[in-house]
Amino acid sequence: MRGAFLISVLVLCIASVAMWKSQPNEAADGRTRLVWTSDDNPLRKEQVELFNQTNRDCQLVLDPVNSQIEKVIVQSIAGVGPDLLDCRDTNQLQAFVKAGIAWDVTEELPKLGIDIKKDTWPVMQPMGVFENRVYGVPTNCAPNAVWVNEELVARCGVTIPRTPLKWNDLIRLAQKLTIRDSNGQPIQYGFLFDWWNFSHFLLTYGAQFFNEDGTKCIVDSPEAIEAVQLMHDLIYKYKVAPSPVEEAGLASQGGWGSGTINYFGAKRGALALGGRWWLANLRKFTGLKLGVIQSPFGTVQTSSAAGRVTLINKNSPHRQEALKFLAFLASKPYNTLINSQADGIAAFKEYCVGADFQFDPKHPDELDNDVWKDAADRSSYQRTSPFINGGLANQILSTQLDLVRIDAKSAQAALHDAATEINFEIKQSIRKKPKLREEYDRRIREAGR
Amino acid sequence: MKVSRKTAILFLLPNLLGFLVFTFGPVFFSLGASLTDWNLQEPGQTSFVGLANFAELLLDKKFWLYFVNTVYFLLGMPFAIAGSLFLAVLLNQKIKGMVAYRTLLYLPSFTSGVALMILWKALYNPTFGPINQFLLATSRVLHLPMDVPQWLLSTKNILGLEPEKLGMTGTQFGIGARDALILMGIWMSIGGSNMLLYLAALTNVPEDLTEAAQLDGASRWQCFRAVTWPSLAPTTFFIITMGLIGGLQGGFEQARVMTGGGPAGSTTTLAYHIYSKAFEEFRIGYASAVAWILFAIVFAVTLAHWKFGSREATDL
Repeated sequence: MRGAFLISVLVLCIASVAMWKSQPNEAADGRTRLVWTSDDNPLRKEQVELFNQTNRDCQLVLDPVNSQIEKVIVQSIAGVGPDLLDCRDTNQLQAFVKAGIAWDVTEELPKLGIDIKKDTWPVMQPMGVFENRVYGVPTNCAPNAVWVNEELVARCGVTIPRTPLKWNDLIRLAQKLTIRDSNGQPIQYGFLFDWWNFSHFLLTYGAQFFNEDGTKCIVDSPEAIEAVQLMHDLIYKYKVAPSPVEEAGLASQGGWGSGTINYFGAKRGALALGGRWWLANLRKFTGLKLGVIQSPFGTVQTSSAAGRVTLINKNSPHRQEALKFLAFLASKPYNTLINSQADGIAAFKEYCVGADFQFDPKHPDELDNDVWKDAADRSSYQRTSPFINGGLANQILSTQLDLVRIDAKSAQAALHDAATEINFEIKQSIRKKPKLREEYDRRIREAGR
Repeated sequence: MKVSRKTAILFLLPNLLGFLVFTFGPVFFSLGASLTDWNLQEPGQTSFVGLANFAELLLDKKFWLYFVNTVYFLLGMPFAIAGSLFLAVLLNQKIKGMVAYRTLLYLPSFTSGVALMILWKALYNPTFGPINQFLLATSRVLHLPMDVPQWLLSTKNILGLEPEKLGMTGTQFGIGARDALILMGIWMSIGGSNMLLYLAALTNVPEDLTEAAQLDGASRWQCFRAVTWPSLAPTTFFIITMGLIGGLQGGFEQARVMTGGGPAGSTTTLAYHIYSKAFEEFRIGYASAVAWILFAIVFAVTLAHWKFGSREATDL
């Protein structure tokens, strides 16, 4: 019996050593293996291949399964995090910096000839710069504009002005473009939008989540209420956009970035608020005749922009090699690839000018690239607060917006409750942390309140 | 004898070590963590806060809302248990092809929970889902105008619980996301391990007692009520105990896969709340405190059930 036990232990030990040795740490040919946590966009494959071709001493590997912030933070703290990680908003950057995961590359980037503040779109910079220190390089820029299905628009006899519209103008157009059958069932919507784009609506009314010094949540401002009320009314009052019930039907159509994009691609919407990155899917639909106009606005002609900034893990054993990836993100081949793939537009402004940018012979029908560039130029972003966890603030706001979206609460009441709860959490947060309290008081003093 | 004990210890040691390192250790580590303000976003700044996390959560409105949600989900348990018993009784009949029926009915237990949840999400689609299509078709046939439920998109529920505060209101009365998850839970557990347990217990019901009852003129229902059901008491007790424990700890997968805890937090349970606090807000200390309170609740409920519900089971 003892023999059997010893043999079992021996076999387990050998198996453990074998597994340990077979860990894919360094590539077999001596290249340094860099793990990059990003999303599972199929375009990522070509971007990885380009890096590997141009950096023969490195092997970049995409890890989309572990790209969520909670996984990155927990794994990085445990010492098994990625070498390179994507950051999608200012809250995430704050979280990565505070958790000691983001490597401060302020001194490193100039050595690579990169000047984030000068070279990239301003709207992308807060995702990589925190308290005047630079932590990452933008990978792309994906501002919102309005997609136009020219065929559906022409069929309805509507002309879409190319000059910037106000929301009221858009509603009038969208009403003409919405078609329902005799039972009232929608055949075609005038305007499609995703509810998670609420920040865009707020910005076009000049509304912010927090005041300038981040000491107070002001999401219950009249401007914010007007913006969220508009989102509600597009569905329930003007009936030009799908309700959540109708939207649930859209989400069942699979594919990356599915839902609204595929619905628009299937010619069920005449206009849609979205980004150039939609082309990754829309190019698969045959016979689509597309145009793009600037986003409508309430009081401020602006857009929100999505996008990503790649950071280097402070605890990575390959930080120097990872810098090569940041240099790659600033290179012409990479930025040209982004423009060609339509993964938003290049984050580096210099690659968004000239005939090459305006006209891609592979996609001769896409003639509105300048609209995306202009949208990037005029895009703005939401302020964050250092006094509350961004995830918590988003959760509170999302819960309230859920209720507006399903028509269970008015925009005014929901935003009032959201602001009250967020401000309560801010008070709780500074009550527990004396240093945060000091900073809070300092900012209040400086603001003269 | 001495040698074999040593060998036994050697064999048990790897498992015991694994248990100590990966289960027992973390459990007690979390107790320590619950007394600190440990936040993953603030490494090196952890300090001892005593019972502050516990005090905070007891005053936290959301904790109680999610506790109510957790308890609400237990409403499905009696129906699931009754369904399992009914199925077990059916499958205990001596008819041809019974093995195939048993296998078929146990099949959902082999299937991945996530896959089943995605399937149910499609079934609950308010516009295209087969459930609402069926309800609409029925209402047309019967000429009864009907507002079909919006299932996962609605905060309504059969008790009229409010989504944001503790209390009930008429406007929330109806069928919504909570009920959708309960119905799915009943379906998933009817043919599962509870059915197997009942099936095993039914084979142990003394046949002579049933026969004696039948000879005395008892109907099938009377036989079941007076002979079979009391014989199943220990199994029922076990199933209820495990159901309470599982139910109070449950709801995470459903919330993660189907609803994200919404709409408006109406499907967030304490288990999902713990995850959210620990891995979305990174407040490990606070999340640990919630976990320990949940443990205390589970322990108290199980103890109460043991104390007041076990008499019939142990009398047999």
